[in-house]
Parts: sequence; C-alpha cells; structure tokens
Amino acid sequence: MTSSRIWSWVAFGLGVAYFLLPLVGMFEFSLRARRGEYSFDAYASVLGDPQFRTTFAYSVTMALVTILLGVLIVLPTAFWVRLRMPRLRPLVEFITLLPLVIPVVVIAFGYIRLYNTSSILPLTGSVMGTNVLLALGYASLSLPYMYRAIDTGLRTIDVPTLTEAAQSLGAGWATILGRVILPNVLGAVLSGAFLTFAIVLGEYVFAALLNRPAFGPYMVWISGNRAYEPAALAVIAFAITWACMGLISLVSRTQKHTRARS
Amino acid sequence: MPYLDISHLEKSFGTNRVVKDFSLPIEKGEFVSLLGPSGCGKTTVLRMVAGFETPSAGAIRIEGKDVVPLRPNQRNIGMVFQAYALFPNLTVAQNVGFGLKIAGVAAAESRARVQEMLELIGLPEMGGRYPFQLSGGQQQRVALARALAPRPRVLLLDEPLSALDAKVRVRLRGEIREIQRRLGITTIFVTHDQEEALSISDRVVVMNAGIADQVGTPFEIYNHPASPFVASFVGTLTPFEATVVDPAAGTVMSGGLTMNLGRALAAQAGASLPIALRPEAVHLGRASGREIVLPATAREVEFLGSVIRIRAEAGGQAFLLDTFNRHDAPPPQPGEPVEISFSGRDVVVIGGR
Repeated sequence: MTSSRIWSWVAFGLGVAYFLLPLVGMFEFSLRARRGEYSFDAYASVLGDPQFRTTFAYSVTMALVTILLGVLIVLPTAFWVRLRMPRLRPLVEFITLLPLVIPVVVIAFGYIRLYNTSSILPLTGSVMGTNVLLALGYASLSLPYMYRAIDTGLRTIDVPTLTEAAQSLGAGWATILGRVILPNVLGAVLSGAFLTFAIVLGEYVFAALLNRPAFGPYMVWISGNRAYEPAALAVIAFAITWACMGLISLVSRTQKHTRARS
Repeated sequence: MPYLDISHLEKSFGTNRVVKDFSLPIEKGEFVSLLGPSGCGKTTVLRMVAGFETPSAGAIRIEGKDVVPLRPNQRNIGMVFQAYALFPNLTVAQNVGFGLKIAGVAAAESRARVQEMLELIGLPEMGGRYPFQLSGGQQQRVALARALAPRPRVLLLDEPLSALDAKVRVRLRGEIREIQRRLGITTIFVTHDQEEALSISDRVVVMNAGIADQVGTPFEIYNHPASPFVASFVGTLTPFEATVVDPAAGTVMSGGLTMNLGRALAAQAGASLPIALRPEAVHLGRASGREIVLPATAREVEFLGSVIRIRAEAGGQAFLLDTFNRHDAPPPQPGEPVEISFSGRDVVVIGGR
C-alpha cells in the first residue's frame, strides 16, 4: 500500500468519525435512562407519551398537506415556465429562493401581521385558519427544494414535444400534467416531497409563533425538561430522515421506465 | 372542394414574416411533402395545421370547416415528431392506446385497435415493451401507430426520418408510404431531404423564404423547375445563361454553342434565358441521339458506388455528368481529355418548359 493511499484512508476515517461519533455518543446516551445498564426506557417513554403521538401525527398531517400544496403550486408553474416562458426561469428561481434568504421569523411575523384577526382575511382567528396559514407557510419554506427538484426532473424529459404529442392525441392540460408530465418526473417530485417532509417535521419557528401543537416545538420543550428523552427523540428523528432518503432511492429504482437511464 | 384547404396563410414572429401568403389545396388521401432548407417556414406551416402556432392571417379548412379557432386537442389531427416523443412511462401498447383512452373508447375496442395498429407497423409482439427498449426505427413506427390509432382526419409528419440512420430511413419511408396508401389518410410530410420528398410524395411543395416556390408532382418538380431556387435545391445541375435565337424553333445560344431545345420557347428573340443540364443528361463519350459533342477535360471524379460523378470542363464551362459504374470501364483520371455529349432536348429551362 502506497503512503498516499494510507493518507486517503486516514482522511476517510477521520471524516467518518467526525460524523458518526456524535451520533454514536447520542445513541449511547439515549440508552442510559436506567442506572447501571443499557435500556430502551427513554424510547419507551417518548413513544408512550401521548403528546409525542399527537404532535407527531399533527406534523405528519401538515407535512402531507404541504407536499400536496407544494406539488399543486410548483409542478404547473415549473411546467409552464419550461414550456412557454423559459426566459422567466431565472426570475422564478430567484423567487423560489427567497424563503432561504429571508429569516423564517420575518416571514412568520409578516404572515401574522397580514392575516391577524383585524385583517381582511383573519386566518389566525380560528384553529382551522391557523392550520391553513401554517400549511401555506410550510409550502413557501419548501419552495426552494420542491422547485429545484421538479425543475431538474423536467430537464430530463422533452417537455415541449411530449406536450404537443399529447395535445395532438386529444389531451387537455390536466391530462397532460397528470398522465404525461407527472409520471415522468415522479422521482423528482418524491425527492422534493421527502425533503419537504423532513423540513416540516423539524420546523420550530412557524409552529411556535402560530402556537400550533407541532413536533418541532415538542422537541424543544422536551429537551428543556427531560434528560434522556431528547437524545432518544433525536435518534428517532434521524431514523425517519434516513428512511425518507431510503424511500427516495427505492422509488427511483423501482420505476420501470427509468431503469435504462440509471 | 379540397379535403384540406390551406389558403393565404401568413405567420410573423415580431417583424419576421416566416410564412407569406401560403396556399395549398390537398385532396383526400393525398401525400404532400413540404420540402425546403431549414428556416424556409415548412415546419411553421405544419405546426399551424396542427394548431401549435396561430396564423397571423389566412384559413385552414378541413372538409370546408375552418379549424384555426380550434385548439390542437380538438382538431383530430395526428402528428409524428422528429424526436419520436413517445411517453417514456408508458408501454408501447399504452402509448398506442393513449389517444383512444382520451377519446373514451371502450377497453375491449381499444385493445383490438391497438393490436391492429401494432400489426400494421409490424411490431405485434412489442406491446409490453417500454420505449427505451426499442430501436430508433421501432420507436418511430410506434409513434406512427400512436398517431394513427384514433383515426385522425389528417396525418402530419415532421421530419420523422431525420434522426434515423440511412438504411432504416429508406426502409421506413417505404413503410410509411405503404401504410398511408393502405389507410388512404391525407398526409403532409415535412422534410429537407429532396430524395425523401421525391420518392414518396404524390405532390411536392418546394418552399423558400416562407413562400411556396413550386407545387407539383415529383416528376414536374425535377424536370421542370419553376425557379432557379427549385432548380438548384432539387437535384444537382449545371446552370448556364443562354440567349434566345429563334423562340418558335426553340433555338438558343450559350457560350458560342447553338442548341435546339426541340420545343417552342415563351421568350423573345434576344432575351436571356436561364437553362441547366442535369448530370444524368450528359454522357461521357459520344452516344446516339446526343447531337452536341464537346471536347472536355475531366477535373474531378467522385466514385459514388453504382454511379460515378465527373466534373468536366469544356470551353471554360464546368459540366457535371453521371455515368454508371462498370467494372470493365474505369473512370477517367482528373486532367485526362474526354468527350462529352448531350442533347438540346434534355436541357432544362428554368422557370418554363
């Protein structure tokens, strides 16, 4: 083995240690709830907590609504920009990047000012209205990821020709989007969806400022009040994120028509 | 009344007029090719018929009814694209059945029609495959079947053979013509390849700068080009400038050579007349029926397989001539003196007969 190769392995080992040691440490700590021996008590406590179940269910529901909203907004927009307004692409890209540039606190306060009980559209006046506002806020937060994922997907297919082919066969816009474009960018839509899922699940500022029972505020609350449970919760959150990543690659592999491309 | 009537069609993109006063009546079952160089407006005309572009002026009537106000998906016009445009997520059978599903055709009837179409294109066993599992030629055949399945009123072919290799192209163009004849479907074919257009069309429209320069059968287009552009774009030829000597007798003079064209000319005596010779009209050596014999020098010899193309020079004028390849008669070497002969009757008068 040459010395340069040894150094490559050393660098690789250091990198792996840098990422894995905190995780291992956290996992090990999460097992120490019972004095003197390892146990899954912290996990049992977290999973048995009704507040965990309600906040998790709430955030999962919000994530699904956000994904649906994001796809409904982004897919037709990205499709139309590619088909008819390619010159506007840099502008649309810039707009979708804004949620990354403007702090979430600012967006959340802006929303609260715009939609408070004394405004024309008093969304914060009811629970359902606040939920709608939160979903809209999450959808805007997920825009940079959703738009980029879908736009990259659209780049891999010949959008104008496929659209014209479908039109010449009698298809209207809804059929073209639903049966021609969406199935061909499904992998990209799903990767955008899973990123959105991960963002919504961990989001704190929006949910806290709008006072909704989401998973993000619960994690913050529990880390201030318990010792071992936050570590167990963090491990669970990691597991969910990794499961999402795994699903992305699984879905993109199982799509029959894309096998030749990969 | 023509089945498909394109009349006074115009299209401008900003200040750029890409199609100018284009009119073309097409009979039912006819196969018409739009031939021209890129940017001549042929694809724009096709896209206007399909509904993908809106004409700036003019009308497109099918069976007497103007289709310009209709959206592309309301016109019932089938189209085949250069890039195949098969839906990658659907199998061959699903692709072919796509238009039928949208039209609400019952499942059993749709299945039978899809099978009928797959048999028509010679791929009856390929229904379950995905487009990426097919060759380019097979994909284009599926695209043709997909366009034909919903029984469109008109079939549009937008350079469907351009992306294929030479052998497949020749075979597929024969198949397309055969299928078109069998179904009797009115077809417009866009191409920049003159051989393709001449070989499969009932009529050819030669387009130049947004204008239809000439409309005619392949025979007419090739033998009686209506303009210098048509003459130069369709086939190869040697152009000359001649002066009319006796229009009634058909006598002209070019470069000190008097020729009798064997037909009366619609020009005044003394007027200049653009004429040309096709390479196949010029013979290497003397031959019966070719009364004009010129001493020349071979300049370039191009071996094309069955044909040898020679560029010879006689009296300062270049002549292109084609001669069949014969294994016992090797072609002349460049610089070698030769004799060439042709008949005045074979001279092409550009813009008239």
